[in-house]
Amino acid sequence: MSDTLQTVGRMIQEVIGDDWDLDQPITLETSFGDDLELESIEFVSLAEALKVEYGDEVDFVGWLSTKELDEIIQLKVGDVVEFIDLCRSSN
Amino acid sequence: MSFLELNQVRFHVQELGPGAESGESTPAFMAHGLLVDNLASWYFGAAPRVARDRRVVLYDLRGHGRSEAVRSGYDVATGAADLAALVGSAAEGPVHLVGHSYGALVALRCALDYPQLVRSLALVEAPLPPSRLEEMRSIATADPKKLLAALPGRLREALTSGRRRAARARKSLEFLLRESSLVADLAAEVDIPDAELAGLEIPVQLIYGERSSCRPVGDRLLTALPQASLEVLDGGHYLSVERSAEVGEILAGFLHG
Repeated sequence: MSDTLQTVGRMIQEVIGDDWDLDQPITLETSFGDDLELESIEFVSLAEALKVEYGDEVDFVGWLSTKELDEIIQLKVGDVVEFIDLCRSSN
Repeated sequence: MSFLELNQVRFHVQELGPGAESGESTPAFMAHGLLVDNLASWYFGAAPRVARDRRVVLYDLRGHGRSEAVRSGYDVATGAADLAALVGSAAEGPVHLVGHSYGALVALRCALDYPQLVRSLALVEAPLPPSRLEEMRSIATADPKKLLAALPGRLREALTSGRRRAARARKSLEFLLRESSLVADLAAEVDIPDAELAGLEIPVQLIYGERSSCRPVGDRLLTALPQASLEVLDGGHYLSVERSAEVGEILAGFLHG
């Protein structure tokens, strides 16, 4: 779990890049909408980074496409970490 | 993330879809709408469904998303030339084009101007004449605040809540509306005559929202285009986001080969 959180946290930081101004560390409770204010196009970059890291094992885009826009905005980092760990443990 | 230099502009391009198992399937290229939109609305919307059967190529229009913020070339013909250049560099042979709103106009223009590149066309909420574009009135005032206020609540929320995101959305809109030729380019767009539409001899899937101000355009295109079919969904103009699952199914059913 903590490995995945670390990986996802690093990716988020890379995606946000120069705009990064968050004082607190990224935790499972950090939300993509309210805390990180991730833009839709940054979400795409995150999804691509996950694809590079985990390959076909983790279908992040497919998972997100089953969700409504509001649900995606309200996602927490922990939801993504949980999804990744679930995909990886079932393989 | 991948970038392609086309027509002297740096374009952000993303691909979805299977490699080997798609075999010889014809790829689909998808174009998004204006101003606040970018390839994410396809990427997290209908594109994954389409990508189950074929390679899907998504790109940010010039000045949008992560593509280069250039000052000119926001007319539909230049947009079509950009798309044609992308098709030429990323695929062999004719492809399927899919577009939403302004992106649908770009796809339609591309099919008319570069018929050798296009096998079929899916138009979601194409506004014709372009002055029908829902954002047009607020675009003409070149006021980002009015433009954002005209968006449906959920979309507005997604774009403008918070400090960082709101600031970035405003900056990007201010550039497009005040520092680029977009407003003038769009104001100069003219209608496509029915006689020209009648010459488009490829299958066309039209998808319109029951409550959209563009809805009557669906009937007009259905009559004017020789090989068109029309689906009307319960929704407004932003179907690619609001009804992404249905749009994905319709596209998957329509696209052949």
